[in-house]
Amino acid sequence: MLARITRPARAFRPHWLAALLLVIVSKNFAQPNSEPQLEAAYLINFMKYVEWPASARNTASICLFGRDTLGPLLSSHEGRMIGGKELRILRVSSPADMASCQLVYIPDVEEARIGAVLRWTQGMPILTASSADGFARAGGGIEFVRHGGRMQFIVNASSLLQQGLTASSQMMRLAFRVIGGER
Amino acid sequence: MAAIWHNAISAQDDDLNLEDLTKIEVSSVSRRNQSLNNVPAAAFVISADDIRRSGAQTLPDVLRMAPGIQVAQIDSGRYAVTARGFNGRFSNKLQVLVDGRSIYDPFFSGTLWEHDQIPLEDIERIEIIRGVGAAMWGANAVNGVINIISKHSHGEANGMLAASIGTHGQRQLYARAAGNIDADTSWKLSAQGRHAGPAKKSADGSYSADDLTASTVDFRFDRTLTAGSALTVWANVANSTQGDLYPFTINPLDPMVLDPIAVDEKTSTQMLGARYRWLTEQGFESSIQSSLSNAQIGLKNAFEIRYVKFDLDYQGRYTFAEHDLLWGLTHRTMSDEAWSNFAFEMTIPRREFTQRSSGVFLHDNWTLVPDTWQLGVGARWDQSNLGGSFLSPSATLMWTPTRNHTLWAKYARAPRIPSRAESDVSMISGYQGPTTGPFLSMLRSQPGSLPLSRETIEGGELGFRSQLAPHFSIDLSLYRYRYANLVSSTLGTTEVNLSFGPIPVVIQNLDRNNAANGWLTGAELSLDWLLSPTWRLQLSYALTHVDMDASSNPISDAQGKADERGTARHTGSLRSQWNLSENQQLDAWLRGSSGMVRTLSPYTTEIRIPGYVTLDLRYAFKLTRDLEIALSGRNLIGPRRVEYVSDYVPATPVVIEPSLQLTTRWKF
Repeated sequence: MLARITRPARAFRPHWLAALLLVIVSKNFAQPNSEPQLEAAYLINFMKYVEWPASARNTASICLFGRDTLGPLLSSHEGRMIGGKELRILRVSSPADMASCQLVYIPDVEEARIGAVLRWTQGMPILTASSADGFARAGGGIEFVRHGGRMQFIVNASSLLQQGLTASSQMMRLAFRVIGGER
Repeated sequence: MAAIWHNAISAQDDDLNLEDLTKIEVSSVSRRNQSLNNVPAAAFVISADDIRRSGAQTLPDVLRMAPGIQVAQIDSGRYAVTARGFNGRFSNKLQVLVDGRSIYDPFFSGTLWEHDQIPLEDIERIEIIRGVGAAMWGANAVNGVINIISKHSHGEANGMLAASIGTHGQRQLYARAAGNIDADTSWKLSAQGRHAGPAKKSADGSYSADDLTASTVDFRFDRTLTAGSALTVWANVANSTQGDLYPFTINPLDPMVLDPIAVDEKTSTQMLGARYRWLTEQGFESSIQSSLSNAQIGLKNAFEIRYVKFDLDYQGRYTFAEHDLLWGLTHRTMSDEAWSNFAFEMTIPRREFTQRSSGVFLHDNWTLVPDTWQLGVGARWDQSNLGGSFLSPSATLMWTPTRNHTLWAKYARAPRIPSRAESDVSMISGYQGPTTGPFLSMLRSQPGSLPLSRETIEGGELGFRSQLAPHFSIDLSLYRYRYANLVSSTLGTTEVNLSFGPIPVVIQNLDRNNAANGWLTGAELSLDWLLSPTWRLQLSYALTHVDMDASSNPISDAQGKADERGTARHTGSLRSQWNLSENQQLDAWLRGSSGMVRTLSPYTTEIRIPGYVTLDLRYAFKLTRDLEIALSGRNLIGPRRVEYVSDYVPATPVVIEPSLQLTTRWKF
């Protein structure tokens, strides 16, 4: 008799736990804020906070190098105007593609090719950004880092200087770290 | 002049601005912990944050979180660490690298974990690749490779002090100074001292003599030259002293028992190394690295090895069209001098020896279908004056049907070169009291009539990795490998020695050969779940099954059975990292292993080591941005236990007990 009473109670416990977890999870994930979503939002912002040298073109292009990790998140922004230019999202893979880019994003899965991309973009007015470890130290412009549960970015000031780019003082102030120059 | 782009954010803009973005809490599993996501191999990454939050004070304790890595604490400083079975005080099938430099000891073929080669605070991340990695990392990368990557000095432009004090005589002090000479040049100097008190003997609860003192001084200099080229210089000096009790002399009243003698094991290493990386106009990436190290390992007045090791490594990389090509050349020379004063117990006929090995490898990652199919083909050829020349091929196929799912398959073959100790040294490896008659018997392990040749491992793996939801990822791997020509023994001659007093000693020689063969099968699972932006759970589990072939040779057969039963079949860990608030962390780590049966060296009796489940807890409080205090407890639940008994080197088993530790970290 006793067994009959206790058995259903025991079986019920996991449901409670599952329900509790579901509440916690759904509560905390109401806002979409995954790492790729944040990176995509950052890239759009960098287009506003960085000054490129004068150019006659009327488009501004964010180029996604190699494996596509942000494309679907950025495609909705395509065609909008940023700083008076029409935003384009391009997928690139070779040195010849670089000339059409203002910003080149290299996903961390393409870590192996960082050196090559930095070489291709050297001296060109192109902002490079990546989530690969050590990207800024390797000469890249902006490196995403995750710190304290938040997505932050490192700016390599000397790299930006060499590319002829100027980051706004506000962006420099918000950077998690600035290397190769004074903040 | 001209229209520069306007910074102002247009009015209709409903984007989050930069400042908002820096404040959003990320709700997905960090990819940084999966930076090997795109690798067709069973890989796991331990970040600096994971190390700190583990509450562990030693590298082997940190490695327990990786699936498939089996860690067993022998005493207060020594550990047996392996990947996928065949564990031992000297696990000879696991390669360990610090910044690309091997710390695997080629004399014993294994890693001496009681000797701190690098302070935990100086580690940026640890990449662990289980399975055969010989096509890239060369011989001995048989069951896995552990790549320890130290922090770049540029990111450390400040000072730091970390001090720990704990139960069981645990004390640790770490200090670091660092600076930037100019925008491209930086340096770091760190020092660490560590002490652990003796553990209690499992036999009678009295203290053993295994107290440990270890110190390390590490220097790193980095200079970024033109874009893409950089110079790094490392210098490292480390010393360690640890006692032990060797059951050694026959008790005159009870010849079944060996009385212990106290020994002092001293290890010291000095290393100087440099690496230069550069990039050519055509996009060829190259790196040349060289190091010179000097080491001394000894038991006072009894046994000593000194060696000088020179390593030279070149690696190149070129990506073009659908190919990502990697190639390299390596050379190593190790000159050693070894002697033993135990003329009967341990003899080393060749006092001096120089081991030379050279290798060349080529690997191509070929993208068959962009974003979907990738084929990897590689081979390495090595030549060594211990073990001859051999080819290690590997092939991988990786399928990424969607961005979030990866399936991979791998084939690989690898050799393990016999160590100098296996090739040359004769030692008493077993003792039996007068059970079968009025005499004692001893087993002596010695080189056979034929020189040992290499062991060969060949097999395949399958893996699946998936980001099932933004906050949940899974990584699964399955493997099966064939081990052939493993070092084993056969019955040799019998001698009678009368120099032990009234009782004659029968010595049974065991001649080493390459006669053992077997299968290794297993599965590993790791899950990473971010329950909320402030709470992360990580689960890892490994199943390891060693199945050695039966042999008509009774010694090989018994050794095979010992290998099977000496491997823990199930190991698992569940870690919880919870940020209670901006400045408080509460971490819990539940971990366990199933039991195993091991031979208690130097006796021939088998001991069953029971399985265990235990818990570590850590609470950390950040007083200011730069000052943190943490209280951690290790091995908090479950009975006091023996985790391991030494198999080859005689030792006194000790118990692992609950311990507490208070740590302060101050950056300035």
